[in-house]
Amino acid sequence: MARGATIKLDVFRCRPEDERGTFRSYDVPYREHWVVLDALNWIKDYMDGTLSYRWSCRMGVCGSCGMMINGQPALSCAVFLKSYYPNSIRVEPLSYFPVDRDLMIDLEGFLAKLKSIKPWIIHEDEKPLEAGEYLQTPGELAAFKQYSMCINCMLCYAACPVVGAEEDFLGPAVIALAQRYNLDSRDQGAEERSVAIDADEGIWGCTFVGECTEVCPKQVDPAGAIQRAKVASAKNWYSKLLPWGER
Amino acid sequence: MHHSKEVFWWSLFSAGGVMAALFMPALMVATGVILPNRGPAAHAQIHETVSFWPVRILLFVILFLSFFHCGHRVKHILMDLGLRRASGALAVLCYGGASVGTLAAAYVLATLGSG
Ligand code: SF4
Ligand code: FES
Repeated sequence: MARGATIKLDVFRCRPEDERGTFRSYDVPYREHWVVLDALNWIKDYMDGTLSYRWSCRMGVCGSCGMMINGQPALSCAVFLKSYYPNSIRVEPLSYFPVDRDLMIDLEGFLAKLKSIKPWIIHEDEKPLEAGEYLQTPGELAAFKQYSMCINCMLCYAACPVVGAEEDFLGPAVIALAQRYNLDSRDQGAEERSVAIDADEGIWGCTFVGECTEVCPKQVDPAGAIQRAKVASAKNWYSKLLPWGER
Repeated sequence: MHHSKEVFWWSLFSAGGVMAALFMPALMVATGVILPNRGPAAHAQIHETVSFWPVRILLFVILFLSFFHCGHRVKHILMDLGLRRASGALAVLCYGGASVGTLAAAYVLATLGSG
């Protein structure tokens, strides 16, 4: 690598009053150990302080730095410049979300969907405090643990064509999170959640594309969660048809 | 528990996928490649096998579920390609097509060997 080498970033820029945005190019110093987020921070510090984007942990934990990098949803703190050098890198906000400004997307819709599935443990009969904690075996923990690893980075939404086509589709992460609680031995909220989950805009909106699982940085496998939820729903539906089935 | 009507179509799709994956390749190789090259004796043999009622019923189940698997998949592909708003018409077309295929299969299997 030549001393003083640079790499070009084409960054999407958009202010709230703009109808649509434009791309602006920045030549950033090329460092082998830099990730795309480092390059954006360099732009903000030394070239253009008006650039807006979200980040926090810089280590793939907080889930706030998701962007489209050369058209692929990715955590910008996890993608190295050296994977692209000497070619340029195009950086855009996550697909299918309204844009607040530059690389920052509007989270309102996602948060409303998140809330609609009641992502907390629902007990039918709450034990008194003196009765002690709700114990769980390692097996019972394993049943849902994978789905609890989601960091709400929304990469799976930006990868999903159904999210793009159907604004009301609950989407991969929210359904995986519902499964996280439905499969928890301490929870009895599946029935309440089914109103949102077992709907045309819930699990049945999914057309088995599977891209969500491909892009997920935490191996949550939301596509698998959706398929499992469909099987559970079908079993429940057929069991109700049987004369001895629970109603 | 709340349920969408999709649960019914999806269960046919899902069962059809299993059927198609398990039986279709073998059936296609047997009836489409091996047997036609074996002359009239093989034809008689296949006739005899299919006239056995449990085989007919099994074939019917395989064909019926595979048709609905196919109909559901095609419907969703077309929806993904931008026909989401026409999902009602697509349902009539795709599940209607699967029904026609199923009825045809039923007719062929029921009248086999009787004519
Ligand atoms: S399921 Fe994976 S890709 Fe989707 S929001 Fe959670 S961590 Fe991100
Ligand atoms: S900055 Fe936290 S995940 Fe990238």
